[in-house]
Amino acid sequence: MAVASFIKESLVNVGLKADNQDQLFNTMYEKAFEQGFVKETFLPKIKERESIFPTGLCINNYSIAIPHTDPEHVVEQFIAVSVLDKPVTFHLMEDNTKTTEVQAVLMLGLNQPHSQIEVLQELMQVIQVEDHLEKLIHAKDKADITALFHSIKIS
Amino acid sequence: MNRQTVLVACGAGIATSTVVLDHLEELIERENIKVELVQCKIAEVASLQSNADLIVASTILPTKYSIPALSATAYISGIGIEELDKEILSYLKK
Repeated sequence: MAVASFIKESLVNVGLKADNQDQLFNTMYEKAFEQGFVKETFLPKIKERESIFPTGLCINNYSIAIPHTDPEHVVEQFIAVSVLDKPVTFHLMEDNTKTTEVQAVLMLGLNQPHSQIEVLQELMQVIQVEDHLEKLIHAKDKADITALFHSIKIS
Repeated sequence: MNRQTVLVACGAGIATSTVVLDHLEELIERENIKVELVQCKIAEVASLQSNADLIVASTILPTKYSIPALSATAYISGIGIEELDKEILSYLKK
């Protein structure tokens, strides 16, 4: 449940509407910035990072992305969750010549390099366990997202 | 034989490389091989490669290196973990 403490309900958005990656990042950043989670530099840096090192993941029938950037742009640690109204195109983490239509985005705001392995392991459980991924993508409201993250245990 | 060094890299050296590092620590312990793992940013790999034997990156590899380099997205997505374990071990058990 370590990962659950990173999920801020004010940074969860189910049914987010965005036409493209730029709009999506702008919207997610605005919320995080308003609430003091990130610095202004976070937005240009996360866009830059995504263009060089993309974070789209295609896992069986599902596609998600885990955009993140350098720790110095993060004020307070968080994981922002957006379930998209309609998919947004991301390039694949392992191959930036390929794209995937992303259905949900986990934006990682991390600033402590070594103390968060438990959080990351639990996060990987959200990504790697198909049942969890399905619950994430089909979440109807914020409560569904919160419940999902509270249910994660490291096996 | 000198202890082998593996560079574990991602874009920021903070999120996905931590996941990969954790996985590799378990792998080398299970296989009982002596390897030093160094976590770094992919941008640092070029200057560190001369003292290392293998690069395992969670991201795409932006350039060619003088030592073998593997992409470890499997450890993030969970798909193809065993194959990647085997591939990494093939470089380490020489």
